[in-house]
Amino acid sequence: MLKLQNISKRYNNKTVLDDISLEINAGEIVSLLGPSGGGKTTLLNIILGLTKMDSGNIFFHDKDLTNVPMKDRGFNIVFQDYALFPHLNAYENIVYGLKNKKGLVTPEELQEYIDFLELEPHLPKKMGELSGGQKQRVALARTLVTKPKILLLDEPLSALDGVIKESIKERIKSIAREFNLTTIIVTHDPEEALTLSDKILIINEGAISQFGTPQEIINKPKNDFVKDFILKQLLIKRQNIFNLFEEQYA
Amino acid sequence: MRKIKPEMRVIFITVLLLFAAFLFLPLFILLIRSFETNQGYNFSNYLSVLTDPELIQAFINSMKISGITAIITTILAFLLAYAVHCTRLFQPFKKGIKIGIVVPMLLPTITYGFAIMYSFGNQGLITKIAGRNLFDIYGFNGLLIGYVIYTLPAAFLLIQNSFVYIDKKFIIVSKLMGDGTFRSFMNTILRPLGGAIGGAFVLSFILSFTDFGIPASVGGTYTVVSTQLYQVMLGSIPDFNHGAVIAILMLVPTIFGVLLLSYLDKFNFHYDKVADTELIPNKFRDISFGVISSVILLGMFSVFVIMFIAPFLNSYPYDYTFTFKHILSVFQSSDLTSVYQNSLIVALATAVFGTIITYSAALINARTSVKGKNSIDIISMITNTVPGMVLGLSYLLLFNGSSLKGTFLIIILCNIVHYFTTPYLMVKNALSKMNPSWETTGELLGDNWFKTVYRVILPNSTSTVIEMFSYYFINSMVTISGIIFLITVQTSVVASKIKELQHFAKFNEIFVLSLLIFFTNLVVKLLCDYLQKRALVKKTKTYKVKVRGIYVNKL
Repeated sequence: MLKLQNISKRYNNKTVLDDISLEINAGEIVSLLGPSGGGKTTLLNIILGLTKMDSGNIFFHDKDLTNVPMKDRGFNIVFQDYALFPHLNAYENIVYGLKNKKGLVTPEELQEYIDFLELEPHLPKKMGELSGGQKQRVALARTLVTKPKILLLDEPLSALDGVIKESIKERIKSIAREFNLTTIIVTHDPEEALTLSDKILIINEGAISQFGTPQEIINKPKNDFVKDFILKQLLIKRQNIFNLFEEQYA
Repeated sequence: MRKIKPEMRVIFITVLLLFAAFLFLPLFILLIRSFETNQGYNFSNYLSVLTDPELIQAFINSMKISGITAIITTILAFLLAYAVHCTRLFQPFKKGIKIGIVVPMLLPTITYGFAIMYSFGNQGLITKIAGRNLFDIYGFNGLLIGYVIYTLPAAFLLIQNSFVYIDKKFIIVSKLMGDGTFRSFMNTILRPLGGAIGGAFVLSFILSFTDFGIPASVGGTYTVVSTQLYQVMLGSIPDFNHGAVIAILMLVPTIFGVLLLSYLDKFNFHYDKVADTELIPNKFRDISFGVISSVILLGMFSVFVIMFIAPFLNSYPYDYTFTFKHILSVFQSSDLTSVYQNSLIVALATAVFGTIITYSAALINARTSVKGKNSIDIISMITNTVPGMVLGLSYLLLFNGSSLKGTFLIIILCNIVHYFTTPYLMVKNALSKMNPSWETTGELLGDNWFKTVYRVILPNSTSTVIEMFSYYFINSMVTISGIIFLITVQTSVVASKIKELQHFAKFNEIFVLSLLIFFTNLVVKLLCDYLQKRALVKKTKTYKVKVRGIYVNKL
């Protein structure tokens, strides 16, 4: 269980995060949703340990991680642009971290990850030869083989198009289920957040607007921001899609 | 955002200390010495230098000839770049221009002078072919030819690099809008290239103004600043204080020049996307530019032809029988072979240590958030400004009494500082284009910082590292201006030996040594180009690094 307590962060006298507190249960998928510049990536980096918070505490399974450096927290991230190493092929990228931690993963387990992400045919390929979705899966594999205690994903779907987006969405859900892995995702797309996660944390101007399940957010929006920006967008989309299909099937 | 590791600070401080000791302190001492007199510190050195008619004449001469050189070079460089980018000449021909033009960079400038003498002199090859003396080469004419050959490669690289970023679609748009040839040329070529053309002019001016090799060989009685500085320092009555003043005065135009260069850079157009566009066919244009560029290149090569002929003849220009005796005698002379060995040692050490220092400096600047890292950019601007002779002189003043005097180390350090800017910009550019999350990713995967640098950053910049190595090696093989004040009998290198052999009129030896430098540089260049290409292919097409900066080939 991950517990954030009164986290605040300022950059040059501008409050980016203001007194954020919440709890995330083991195995849950949680999305951090909000407009750009709202502080969601900062919160993700604070959880990761890359950014220092000004005040507040982080607990993981009741252990205080506040002053534990990034490397020792045992969390891991897949960046928006994947940050794959272009001079290595897919396989070498995946096992990069294993060279530092020998014996962490058995050869059988490694093969399981590769099979699970359907990467076998792509292992010898260089990064330039992979499609966006394949790169995403290599980056996921590289992160998963280090057996992170929490998986962080920064805008994991933003660089992908249509159909691949849906398939990666399913993939992320099945990873969380399969490995009972707590997963925290940053996104600015309400549809993505509400269809992908168990819980959604809506952040606006550095503060929590609402934290709840997709149903709670749809049925009981807490304030105008959630109504105007999150729900309205979904309703317009819904209307558009209905219009489209009614015309076709009428 | 990125955390600062202690090892980053250690590298940063080492780099700063190095430049404090071998750039800032020497220049500071130079400034102090320029004010030093028997009666304390005052302006009397400046007064006596600025009232010396001979020195004033040298300054005027330098300004005049550098200005004329810059005009000619800029026009020629533009014509060549235009031929490469705006005509439908055969690809191999264009490639030939690009390769051919940089050939003089593999030779010391002092060799240019001797090649000019043996081509245009009384008994020169070209004089003989023409059947008469074309002009007097000692002095203005010889200097002009030498300077133009010397500055043409750098000016060409600058303009042609900007040409790459010009969107040729605009030429077609302009034609479709009904522009005439002149208006179309002004709007689609000259205006967008304005900054680069101005830059080529300034660069050519600075290079000619600060060069020592060409006036040392073919200057004759036409005095210029660099030869005056040499005489004041190493002539019959050395005067260090007056030398310091001349060095400071030499620095002034170059400071203006470098400021002007960075100002002109703002005039460069930056098109977002440059699509490959087919050029409108025009036979007349293609043929005329084919002829023009061939004439320029052949003219340049013709000056150097003699260098490849004379050493193989028994006694040019009197006895034309073929012989290897001059080559053999150089190789049998322990004096000359040891000088060549010295050159190799200096060039290799400069290349290896220069690459390491420059890479570390750029690594700190481009990939860490250490406080004050921008100071390295300032250092690179200063090293770009200081002419080799000024730097060498300031070393002489500062380290004259120290144990560094007369060592290879001081020559190597001088070369590293002198040529720092270009390799620094090359690698900084490459490093800052890399994904900013690699260090974090490496750390999360269990690396420490050094390990990520070694396993990820370095392998993704191999090609740039090779390019830096080759740049340092070639330049330290050919430089003479930077080291002329620092060499001793024990640490003499080929380029300075050529200066010495001049007094004994041993021209065969001069040409054989020049050929040695030339072929050594050629081998290193070809080898580095090959390794670079292989490094790029190995990584597929993803990370081809294009250096967009000024290639300043200072000597």
